[in-house]
Amino acid sequence: MARKTKVAEKKVSLDAWRETDETLRLPAITPPVTYPIETLVPEVRQQTPAVGQRATRPDGRLHGLGQTRYIDDLAFPGMLYAKIKRAGIAAARIKSIDTREAEALPGVMAVLTGREIPVNSFGPSLKDQPVLADDLVFHAGDGVAAVAAVTEQIALDALDKIKVEYEPLPAVFDPVEAMKDDAPKVHAPNSNIYATKLIKKGDIEKGFAASDHIFEGTFRTQMVEHVPLEPHASIAMWDPNGRVSIYSTLGRITLGRADIARTLKLPINRIRVVATIVGGNFGGKNEITQEPVLALLSKKTGLPVKGTFTRTEEFIATTTRHPIIMEYKTGVMKDGRIIARKVRLVLDGGAYCSWSETTLGKACILAAGPYNIDNLHAEAFVVYTNKTMTGAMRGFGAPQVCFAYESHMDDIAAALNIDPLDIRLLNAFEEGSPSPTGQVLHSVVVKDTLRTAAERFGWKEPRS
Amino acid sequence: MKRRGRGIACMWYPIGFTVAANPSAAVVKVNEDGTATLLTGTVETGQGSLTILGQIAAEELGIATDDVHVVSADTDSTPMDTGAIASRTTYVTGNAVRLAAAKAKAILFEVAAPMLRVKPDQLEARDRKIQVKGYPQRYLPIGEVANHAQVVMGEPPIGAASFNPATVALDPETGQGKPFSTYVYATQIAEVDVDDETGEVDVIRIVAAHDCGTAINPMLVEGQIEGGISMGVGFALQEEILFDAAGRQINPNLTNYIMPTSLDMPEIEVNIVKSYDETGPFGAKGVGEPTAVPTAAAILNAIHNAVGVRITSLPATAEKVLAAIKAKRAQEPKRIAAR
Repeated sequence: MARKTKVAEKKVSLDAWRETDETLRLPAITPPVTYPIETLVPEVRQQTPAVGQRATRPDGRLHGLGQTRYIDDLAFPGMLYAKIKRAGIAAARIKSIDTREAEALPGVMAVLTGREIPVNSFGPSLKDQPVLADDLVFHAGDGVAAVAAVTEQIALDALDKIKVEYEPLPAVFDPVEAMKDDAPKVHAPNSNIYATKLIKKGDIEKGFAASDHIFEGTFRTQMVEHVPLEPHASIAMWDPNGRVSIYSTLGRITLGRADIARTLKLPINRIRVVATIVGGNFGGKNEITQEPVLALLSKKTGLPVKGTFTRTEEFIATTTRHPIIMEYKTGVMKDGRIIARKVRLVLDGGAYCSWSETTLGKACILAAGPYNIDNLHAEAFVVYTNKTMTGAMRGFGAPQVCFAYESHMDDIAAALNIDPLDIRLLNAFEEGSPSPTGQVLHSVVVKDTLRTAAERFGWKEPRS
Repeated sequence: MKRRGRGIACMWYPIGFTVAANPSAAVVKVNEDGTATLLTGTVETGQGSLTILGQIAAEELGIATDDVHVVSADTDSTPMDTGAIASRTTYVTGNAVRLAAAKAKAILFEVAAPMLRVKPDQLEARDRKIQVKGYPQRYLPIGEVANHAQVVMGEPPIGAASFNPATVALDPETGQGKPFSTYVYATQIAEVDVDDETGEVDVIRIVAAHDCGTAINPMLVEGQIEGGISMGVGFALQEEILFDAAGRQINPNLTNYIMPTSLDMPEIEVNIVKSYDETGPFGAKGVGEPTAVPTAAAILNAIHNAVGVRITSLPATAEKVLAAIKAKRAQEPKRIAAR
């Protein structure tokens, strides 16, 4: 009897607990968002003239209320979810791909491999990147197959059932090693050095000969990711008229559409690319990634297909910032004037070119810093390695070379016992200064920025 | 013991990119009530570029920011654009928008001139009015002119234009040429505390002075600078993708790839340096990428100033800074404190 009472007691308390819980519980489905019909327009958006106003963003209200709809918030009737299988090996030949078991999994609607892609290569300048690796794997993040399934989980389960046989190939990971003649070739038979840049001004040897002091330094930077809040995401919908609409996080839709057209062998006017509000780009969303894969999976199934990268895929399968090895040699006069500078840059390009040519160009042009230097020799190389591809990232090589030329500048200032601010003001560009490429510069305010920052910081004030 | 240091870094950065042409196109349609619709192929990636482009169109048409609705980033309905890349949107797309708005405005002036009994070149657009230069009391509301243009004259005020920065390809032998149309400049000064027992670096304060030409929207410029600095702090001290011996990333997640959080952010003072570029829309250049350029250099110089060690490879993690401090101490002659 005692036992029975105990159970009854427990039941009562549980019910009471449930009741309170019901009152606290939030609805399982978010109620439909209702907007106030009268939206207040901030006064600053109503003012003329418009330029110079601290006008608020029209999307700010939606962001603030958490009501912005990103790609992953969109859904279309019958939509499938796609996942891509990553190689996990840095250099290999694909001997076979067996997708039968994955295809047999209930809920899997289609499987795609690289051989089914009409033109399996793309890239902003060199077309060296496969949409899905079909013969060779160039880095561990390469996609080798894709699945569209009714749920994301089934798509993930199906990836495990795809059997890929690899024949490992020799790989190279260090850009300096990769420059050697006997290094494994990432894209054989081509050289690993896939682009170079040279900028010459004056006579570098005469400049060094005339210098009072010569300083040297080597600087290195690391590989970093853009880490946008929103990962790469797309939805592709193939319609019965043979047109495909792609909602995408692409930052460059004009170029993206041309690349998609090329890989799918479709006329450009049969492709519509819509970029919604993008949750951060920083250069990482400047080229297509999974869009052709989603389009083909949509074509195979006749249904909309969505793909959203995981955070890990953001790291391993999208572009990153170039690590650069930067060698500086600078000839300086006693008073701190720089008269000669030699720079050699080696950029780790990773497995594909992507935006390396632009990065190489900007890094090389900017490498001498915002300084008047009569004798300059800057050379730069970008090298393939079997690592994650490097590409556009906020600054295109500039944060790397700025770290080098400004560290080097402080070393020179310290050795000559000159204030770091003064040595910069002594050498900085002025209106009409010639750039390293011989361009006459206009609206040059580098000295103004130096003086303003120093004044606001209190640089010249005595230090406590 | 915590040791304080300061470091300075300046930089220059081009607007637009090299290698290929980088045009943008835009369409501006003035509606019957004097509001306008701007079509652009650029993509809003969070930086506020659509607000800026709306302000540029509004300025040219003499209307307010909110009078312009911006339609963007649909290849079916918006004109080509090289994209939100290379800090080029304000300058390149902005110039295209300004030219397109000017074409729409020219139609409005053609229509308004006989209504105001002057020549079109004697008109200006200000404060939602088309008025006679020097005689602001002689005016017509822009909506009245736009409606007249469309409904009576049959000339809808629509302008389309494109812009491509003037560049000269570099000579492959010498690298001489004009790779970019214009450049921006900036200086950042960092103040740091370095713990000489742990190697930890705490960025206390950053004073930034940036040139962006005319600041079309100072608030958005400030936002860019603050965001760029946070990226620079991560690049300087924390972030690094690591690989195993087989070339696979070992930290591809936010647990092991350390990024700055709000707690790592220094106090930031933003200064926008006065500057005007005649080739930019209303004197504007751009600001997106340059904000992330000098931060790491300034922090690394501040570390050097604080503890006397030069870290030559990024990121300057606590381990790396501590190892450098220990190596420096090992080289210094041992001294016994004379106290």
